[in-house]
Amino acid sequence: MASARFLTLKSIHGTSTHTHSLRPCIQISGKARAFCALMSPSSTAVFYENHGPPDTVTKIIQLPSVEIKANDVCVKMLASPINPSDINRIEGVYPVRPPLPAVGGYEGAGVVHSVGSAVQALSPGDLVMVSPPSPGTWQTHVVKDKSLWHKLHKDTPVEYAATVTINPLTALRMLEDFVDLKTGDAIVQNGATSMVGQCVIQLAKLRGIHTINIIRDRSGSDEATEKLKKLGADEVFTESQLDVRNVKSLLGNVPEPALGFNCVGGNAASLVLKFLRQGGTMVTYGGMAKKPVIVSTSSFIFKELSLTGFYLQNWLTSDKNEECREMLDYLLGLIREGKLKYDMELAPFSEFHTALDKSLGKLGSQPKQVIKF
Amino acid sequence: MAYARRFITLNSSIHETSGLLLRPPRILASAVVRAFSTLMSPPSRAVFYHDHGPPDTVTKSYSLLLIIISSLLLLALQLPNADFLKLIVCRIIELPPVEIKANDVCVKMLASPINPSDINRIEGVYPARPPLPAVGGYEGVGEVHSVGSAVEGLSPGDLVMSSPPSPGTWQTHVVKDKSFWHKFDRGTPVEYAATVTINPLTALRMMEDYMDLKSGDAIVQNGATSMVGQCVIQLAKLRGIHTINIIRDRSGSDEAKEKLKKLGADQVYTESQLDVKNVKSLLGNVPEPALGFNCVGGNAASLVLKFLRQGGTMVTYGGMSKKPITVSTSSFIFKELSLKGFWLQKWISSSQTEACREAVDYLLGLIRDGKLKYDMELAPFSEFHTALDKALGKHGSQPKQMPREGHNGGDTPIITRADIPTATMPESPDGG
Repeated sequence: MASARFLTLKSIHGTSTHTHSLRPCIQISGKARAFCALMSPSSTAVFYENHGPPDTVTKIIQLPSVEIKANDVCVKMLASPINPSDINRIEGVYPVRPPLPAVGGYEGAGVVHSVGSAVQALSPGDLVMVSPPSPGTWQTHVVKDKSLWHKLHKDTPVEYAATVTINPLTALRMLEDFVDLKTGDAIVQNGATSMVGQCVIQLAKLRGIHTINIIRDRSGSDEATEKLKKLGADEVFTESQLDVRNVKSLLGNVPEPALGFNCVGGNAASLVLKFLRQGGTMVTYGGMAKKPVIVSTSSFIFKELSLTGFYLQNWLTSDKNEECREMLDYLLGLIREGKLKYDMELAPFSEFHTALDKSLGKLGSQPKQVIKF
Repeated sequence: MAYARRFITLNSSIHETSGLLLRPPRILASAVVRAFSTLMSPPSRAVFYHDHGPPDTVTKSYSLLLIIISSLLLLALQLPNADFLKLIVCRIIELPPVEIKANDVCVKMLASPINPSDINRIEGVYPARPPLPAVGGYEGVGEVHSVGSAVEGLSPGDLVMSSPPSPGTWQTHVVKDKSFWHKFDRGTPVEYAATVTINPLTALRMMEDYMDLKSGDAIVQNGATSMVGQCVIQLAKLRGIHTINIIRDRSGSDEAKEKLKKLGADQVYTESQLDVKNVKSLLGNVPEPALGFNCVGGNAASLVLKFLRQGGTMVTYGGMSKKPITVSTSSFIFKELSLKGFWLQKWISSSQTEACREAVDYLLGLIRDGKLKYDMELAPFSEFHTALDKALGKHGSQPKQMPREGHNGGDTPIITRADIPTATMPESPDGG
């Protein structure tokens, strides 16, 4: 991937805005080739050589063209989001991360620019997404083996295709993998305004499952509450509204939830535990507040709660690829039908560092940042 | 329950008796003269409480005036009550005889332990507790004293235990339906039979119900010197399972380690010894444990989590330090740990009585074979309050306390001290 570009550093040819591929003749390992190798355009990339705070270690550089081998596909990227795990990878705190130096990003979508000679199922102009997700999507051109690209329906909104494989897929799996939920059941979650949170509300609604949603206290929380209710949330509470003796008295007609999702930690996680009914399960999939989960002994013994985690990476292994793509197609179908939607802010690549600052929380609460190339 | 019926017959005269036969009392409650003699139990000396609160403190519900008045009243009713001037939550009083109905069995209790959950029930913090007023205790054994006319299978002199366990065992005589009593082999030491159904059974269920453990696997636990902890070590050893044991730092911890190793513990660490960057580097040949048991909370629980391997499970069955469990987000997401709880009460209520008794008989078999043993201190009933103080942790680390009634019905002091004091009791009780 990125390393391939460094080998061919000698063969940089101009910029990468052409629609047709470059076919320079180059010298490789002392032998003149009898034919011209198919080369990608040069790629503009968000690049980092060290781990550290993303706003200081990343820079936008020009990477040289790489060879497009027989089975490769070169994609002109159109969109790629900034997810929390992307930030953690650059910081060096995420256990699964690419070796240094690296290009940031982990999921994205684009159009096929050119294909290797042995590629049949994909043609220039096809809309594709990276599947399974893998490092290096924050750049204008990506060359990967054909098996790593998933062809999409041409009506698929590109920013949704670019963001479907991490967060919406997490929401879908969490609703399936832990508790056998039926129509009329309820679940509780914190971080409800996150992309996962918004997807949970809508996917639950499609199945007749009630959602109890916890959001943080901040300016604009009333609008946030309204927004989530429009998506189908049954109940939305700020953390301070739940500072009562018996949170369950606020449930009304909604039954006690047997399943809860936590992506915040600290007090917000404790609130999820409070809502859970006897024998309930809380699944942790994130930790936005950077605080641990604290559980009383009695929650385990007398309330019989189970606590466990969800790690999407387990679903992204190569043996699960086909199953994964079926789920992505299902989610994209819902998106095209308007049954699944979430907030995003499309940021031009030229303003990457502003988008990064927004993702890092330096500019208050912001929607998901999606880089448009 | 049995004690409830005792209060109804409060008017009848009370005699302390150790004999088999009882004469019919004059019952003023009913206007109907009985045509026959009703079979009555002896009166029962019981650890009794009518308020929830710390078992060793003065009950808050009495003002000084009320204390004086009620004391005088008790005096007037001539109820022998050595403690009536010292009004603490737990009092030893005489409960009147109760009728032994056709299907009842009256048992003269021989031994009953003080467990942390017993203390929690008196404090009123245990969710499953008897209605007030109540007699303390939850498991115990005794000798059949007399049986109702329809009872077959049990005879005076038989050794029995209450199984499944239920409230009211801290008294000299208990009357319950025959279905509550489980007969056991005379060769079984009575103090083991009295203590087998809560802690050893917890150890057994936790080893069976969470993970399919195989010979060569390892488990990790804190509170290793507790009765459950000692049983886990021995039950694991019988199955070739390694144990990594965490105990607290205190004077005598070296002896405690030796003792646990003699029981078969592979590794024993004090909490301070585990204040290292990578606890797993201490494991040596022992594999990373997939299962962990927690009865302490706080730092000791964090240490169990540190030892667990990827995808491991920690089961919480107690909280002796009264501190909650703190888990990092990454433990859930990247280490894929699961955390659950175990409540024996739940297992007992969802299982058949038969399953409970089979498990108990299996454990008693191991005990008789010498393959399962643990520390206990037998305390005479007359010194109940000292035993209670020890159980409350007021005298430092003590073995499991067991008030024991002498065989002749009197108050024979029988104190058997364990060889080496071990930390089997909480500093402050919670859960379990």
